[in-house]
Amino acid sequence: MAVAASLAASSTASRADCAHCGATLAGDAVAQGNEAFCCSGCAAAATWIHQAALDDYYQLRTVPAGRVDPASADFGAWDRDVVLAEHSRIVPGGREITVLTDAMRCAACAWLIDRALRRHPGVLDAGANAVTGRVVIAWDPARVTLSTLMSRLNALGYRPWLATGEAREQAKRKERRRWLLRLGVAGLGAVQAMMFAEALYLDTAQQMPIATRDFFRWITFLVSTPVVFYAGWPFLEGMWNELRGRRIGMDTLIAGSTLLAYFASVVETVRGGVHVWYDAAVMFVLLLLVARMFEQRARGIASAQVDALARARPALATREDREGRPQQIPVGELLVGDVVRVAAGEAVPADGILLDASSSFDEALITGESAPVRREPGDQALAGSICREQSARLRLTRIGADTRLSELTRLVEHAQGSRPQLARAAERVAGGFLVVLLLCAVATWAWWRAHDPARAFEVTLALLVVSCPCALSLAIPTALTVAHGTLARMGVLGLRGDALSTLARVDRVILDKTGTLSSGGPQLDSAQAFEGFETDAALAIAAALERDSTHPLAQAFTGIDTPHVAQQVRTVPGQGIEGRIDGQEWRLGRADFAAGDADDGALWLGHGGRAVARFTVREALRDDAREAVSALREAGLKVELCSGDASVAVARFARQVGIDDAHARQTPEQKLALVRERQAQGDVVVMVGDGLNDAPVLAGADASLAMAEGATLAQRAADFVVTSPSLLRIPQAIDLARRAQRVVRQNLAWALGYNLLAIPLAATGHVTPWIAALGMAGSSLLVTLNALRLGRGATTSRRRA
Amino acid sequence: MNILLLLVPISIVLLGIAIGAFVWAVRRGQFDDLDTPAIDILRDDPAPLRTQDDGDRDAD
Repeated sequence: MAVAASLAASSTASRADCAHCGATLAGDAVAQGNEAFCCSGCAAAATWIHQAALDDYYQLRTVPAGRVDPASADFGAWDRDVVLAEHSRIVPGGREITVLTDAMRCAACAWLIDRALRRHPGVLDAGANAVTGRVVIAWDPARVTLSTLMSRLNALGYRPWLATGEAREQAKRKERRRWLLRLGVAGLGAVQAMMFAEALYLDTAQQMPIATRDFFRWITFLVSTPVVFYAGWPFLEGMWNELRGRRIGMDTLIAGSTLLAYFASVVETVRGGVHVWYDAAVMFVLLLLVARMFEQRARGIASAQVDALARARPALATREDREGRPQQIPVGELLVGDVVRVAAGEAVPADGILLDASSSFDEALITGESAPVRREPGDQALAGSICREQSARLRLTRIGADTRLSELTRLVEHAQGSRPQLARAAERVAGGFLVVLLLCAVATWAWWRAHDPARAFEVTLALLVVSCPCALSLAIPTALTVAHGTLARMGVLGLRGDALSTLARVDRVILDKTGTLSSGGPQLDSAQAFEGFETDAALAIAAALERDSTHPLAQAFTGIDTPHVAQQVRTVPGQGIEGRIDGQEWRLGRADFAAGDADDGALWLGHGGRAVARFTVREALRDDAREAVSALREAGLKVELCSGDASVAVARFARQVGIDDAHARQTPEQKLALVRERQAQGDVVVMVGDGLNDAPVLAGADASLAMAEGATLAQRAADFVVTSPSLLRIPQAIDLARRAQRVVRQNLAWALGYNLLAIPLAATGHVTPWIAALGMAGSSLLVTLNALRLGRGATTSRRRA
Repeated sequence: MNILLLLVPISIVLLGIAIGAFVWAVRRGQFDDLDTPAIDILRDDPAPLRTQDDGDRDAD
């Protein structure tokens, strides 16, 4: 156990961070000049950045870079014509492709990628977008191959993945551009129309010649028509859909008000009435279009993250032809019944039955099992799982959209596409409001018709305009969309919008251990050597054996420097690893395999019959777990730890992060029971977890957050997915939710108060239409600005973090 | 007031030009990324320095 102490000591002594990726440095840190790096990959990336005079990157970035995986991936397949045909398009001078990358964290990454790629000869254009995680590259295939560019990206730490296909990317771009065009037309047209309307309003003494006035009105009509019918088309279409579905919703309210103001103005223009309200019509369209854009943007960011699922699907598969020769083809051409080969370390292209030999598959993305699962011949292997240890042959049973992976992608997309419950509540309010408003308008019109028929139309219209439910319809969506957008930027994706309001009311947090407080990866805990062996020497041998292993346990040895090179390394499935070092045979793995003893759960190093060393591994604590727990406490929340792990490990973790309330050895049912018990005590409980076993409790808690590295099923059951590796995002998200709730309440109070005041005034004829338009616009603006505060505050807290 | 007959159509023409320019910019993808270019202006882009190791790379 003495080594355990020395290991701990060495890790605290060199507790500096990698100059490139910010990871805590381990024993094998690479020193270069006066900087230190965690691995050769980071060092190479930093050297390249320095030589390319892109050092500014380090000043510009707000978040440290991702760790560079030194293992170079082979992108040779990307140069094949089939891939290029499906994923790229022809542009003048070459081809253009959109690739995804997951490590882009801030605008500086995008800046770096832009610069790095543009320096390459043969690259026509490069554009990286940190928000959507996409890089668009135009290159000349005659001068540079795509694989060269991809290797460059990979060497900088941004591993590229093929996007979902050029057609879908193009459709997304088109959609976004159409919205932008609508917004531009609405903005420019509305400003111009309001300018002309101003000229009419300023003529308070009615001195303008009738001909001039009518000229202005017709001009305003000309300018506002495209705004109402082109820019406002989404609302008109929405109203049409709602009316066909026999319900009254937000779109009916918006489009109804707009059309009313517009057509009333046309009627007044034609018959030469006292007032026109074109400005009111264009204002609605502009403001609501801006609010919709916010909503779309927040959702776009969320769906860009779903692409993480898409990238698990490889672009190419190796199929056996009739003579059994391997042949590379695009995944889209696979058929049910084909036999494919999957090399070790590659992702399975489609669901299939395992043939020949058994192998193990890493299904972390699909089921959340962090350890690879063994599959015997005849068992099913799922698309998106990664083949470990040995290459496998599969007979395909389900392809393309039928696979489990596609099913999951659809579920997540569906969850994100559904409108939040709070927004639906707003729609119901809007429906009721519209009915009340129409009754008021009819009553007003009838009263004025009886007493002063000349003003009946004008007063009724003023009533409708002043009470325009704009502010009401903006009150909730703007606050929600700004809050969700800010959360997404922080690295917390909201899957269910209404959970934000629950999160705001929460007063107890229950944390899972594995994968939540711990990072899930193994860390060397203790090392013990026998037979006069030095522990350091034993560690060096173990590290050499595990160097190129893809097994999760190998991570525990990555921080150890070794002078040895292992040869003939062979993985024995389920047992361990064996190899030859300096002519001597070594085995590392279970006790019965490596040392001929009974298996005790530890990792043994030996010659097959003789034991040389024994290692134990434990989970590593997340860097900021302690800080996050104290931040949660400061926010007035009760914090509990609840884990399925053994009590010793749980107690140690609880002590490390400062939690008094810890429950160990909990089954999923017990966890759920604990949450129910707390709820019965009157607490609003938020659960933070990641594993498959957490899925029921995540669904059962009032609000739940799942860690992004965890199980997809857990994420489906959760309300939020935390994509950022920092646990501090949890207290920050709760804080933001509380502020969003306050803003929603303020907005609703304002919108209702304003209407309660304005409607009686308007009904009694005290509001002229221009005051009505001004009041409507002012209250909408106020509500929007109030919601925008949510975005501002979080930016500073993000910088602080 | 006859000047209005000239000025108002001019403003309409200008509006048309503005919208046309906007449409052109959107089609060209000028608004596709609103986050990255924001930091471009923070830094000058110096000419790439050439070092010994860098010499073997192709010239741009």
